[in-house]
Amino acid sequence: MNLVVFACRNLARRPWRTALAFVGLAAAIGTLAVLSALTAGYERELRKELDRSGVQLMLVPLGCPYDAAARVLKGRVLDASLPAEALAQVRRDPAVAAAAPLLLCAQVRTNEDRADLWVGIDESAPALKPWWRVQRGKAWFSSTNGVILGSEVATLEMRAPGDRLYCPGADATFTVDGVLDRSGTSDDSLFFVPLGRAQQLFGQPGRLTAIAIRLRDPALLAEAARRLQAIPGAQVVTTTEVMGVFQNLIGTVRALLSAVAIVAVTVGCLTVLNTLLAAVLERAAELALLRALGASRSQVVLALAVEALLLTSAAALAGLLGAAFGGAWIQDAVRQWIPLAPERLATPLSLPLIGQSILLGVGTGLVAVLYPAVCALRMAPAEATRTA
Amino acid sequence: MNPSPDQAVVAAEALTKVYRRAAEDVRALDGVSLTVRRGEFVAIVGPSGAGKTTLLNLLGCMDAPSSGRLWLEGREVQQLNERGRTHLRRERLGFVFQHFGLVPTLTVAENVALPLVFARRTADGRVSRLLEKVGLSSRRNHRPHELSGGEMQRVAIARALVNEPALLLADEPTGNLDSVTGEAVIALLRQLNAEGLTVVVVTHNPALAGAAGRQLRLADGRLAG
Ligand SMILES: Nc1ncnc2c1ncn2[C@@H]1O[C@H](COP(=O)(O)OP(=O)(O)OP(=O)(O)O)[C@@H](O)[C@H]1O
Ligand SMILES: [Mg+2]
Repeated sequence: MNLVVFACRNLARRPWRTALAFVGLAAAIGTLAVLSALTAGYERELRKELDRSGVQLMLVPLGCPYDAAARVLKGRVLDASLPAEALAQVRRDPAVAAAAPLLLCAQVRTNEDRADLWVGIDESAPALKPWWRVQRGKAWFSSTNGVILGSEVATLEMRAPGDRLYCPGADATFTVDGVLDRSGTSDDSLFFVPLGRAQQLFGQPGRLTAIAIRLRDPALLAEAARRLQAIPGAQVVTTTEVMGVFQNLIGTVRALLSAVAIVAVTVGCLTVLNTLLAAVLERAAELALLRALGASRSQVVLALAVEALLLTSAAALAGLLGAAFGGAWIQDAVRQWIPLAPERLATPLSLPLIGQSILLGVGTGLVAVLYPAVCALRMAPAEATRTA
Repeated sequence: MNPSPDQAVVAAEALTKVYRRAAEDVRALDGVSLTVRRGEFVAIVGPSGAGKTTLLNLLGCMDAPSSGRLWLEGREVQQLNERGRTHLRRERLGFVFQHFGLVPTLTVAENVALPLVFARRTADGRVSRLLEKVGLSSRRNHRPHELSGGEMQRVAIARALVNEPALLLADEPTGNLDSVTGEAVIALLRQLNAEGLTVVVVTHNPALAGAAGRQLRLADGRLAG
């Protein structure tokens, strides 16, 4: 017999109460872990998507800059457009390493309830898209009537290199030059055509939707932004600012998730507090008895602490196991309510998160034990003879 | 009084205990002096409310007197700190309660072994020997609620003895037992005393009081006679 056995027996004394406290705390810690991993993973995936592009600045038409940047990044169409001179000005800037002009045009297919996004690009585009890899066919347009398809689009349209593809909006027929590898970005669902051809077909001669810019050195950002801002009819957006747009978009959702987590944790912790407090206070006479039998104050506190820690650390572990195995499923369910959710959301639990959850569980146990322990310490062992 | 350490297990001088209450103070014990020598069997008797339990608690270091001095085996208890008193309770004293005080979640054997856990000792067959002595070897894996009152009290006595105390203190050990089961407990206490254990009991039971070598009568917190 030792203190651990003693503590286990006490926990087993009221199995239902112990089980309820256990489930309450495990659920709370599991919820906290899943939601924290979700929030962290969400931000990380978004940042990765932005970083991967290697784009530090974007030149967009005057208007709401954040809206414009978010639309371009997510492959949506802008109403306004940039004058063609802007591109030359950008390329003249000493801080600019690469500048890729884009013209986006949506082709609505009313009978299929979807819109195809056609993007006009020039030779500078692959430089700003490190993941741009051709899966089949050629890496670049062989003629002005060439089109390169994103991997999803190729599947959807059932086209392979050499096939012909009719674009109803432009009333033109293209030849498929290449199909891109799956990248996990919005590129997968785009139709790429030569910039000049796009401007001509979609009635936007000389106009651009945006210019994506990579600098020679990220440290030049502020300086370059100031100069580019002077280009008439255009404005500069940094990807850091774009990140801010995304974060604002998810801000409300994240606040809601945090609120759910906080409520769950509070309820779980209070359940354990209540259970342990009641368990100790109703055993006050028994604790006095232990003192009468020669237990020191610290041994009584230790017995209570072992009991509390057994319960809370087991609950923390169960909660984390639940989060690890059921987390992906829960994240998928939650994903539907999150705007701009990246493809992969199921985020594994990080070590700090695991540590934080265990600390929370164990901390709750210790707090729950502290108060009754103080009561037990004040009691004279003589209480045992009166009531035990 | 000048107690001699090798002779007196207990020496008390003018022990007084006042319970402070909101309305009035209760003088439960009023200047009690006594000596218990090694190997003695002393019974404390007296009417209800006389202060018997209060006195036994003071002797067992379970409570502190309001005034007076107390020596256990020659050591003055007031000069010990909390750790010292815990050590004394654990190593030198055994306590038996009227309501048995067994831990319901533990088996008979585990209850007996509990003071060993606090003393960080291994059982080395001592639990078995004690259970045999109190005639409960066959019940070692039973829970307290499966035992009769007399059996529970014998388990409690075995537990009080497991750390080999110098003094056994028992507060109404037969108080919750009928006369037949009480007899077995009295016989056990007599046997332990015959083997050399110093025993102090508080009792209303004439049979138990009669088994003691000396009776101390307590009334209104004072020793009479
Ligand atoms: N914790 C306490 N607080 C206040 N008064 C107390 C306390 N314990 C005992 N008393 C009072 O002290 C007096 C002596 O009590 P004690 O329990 O020592 O009597 P007793 O001789 O053991 O009685 P009984 O034979 O009924 O067990 C009583 O008047 C009792 O009410
Ligand atoms: Mg009493």
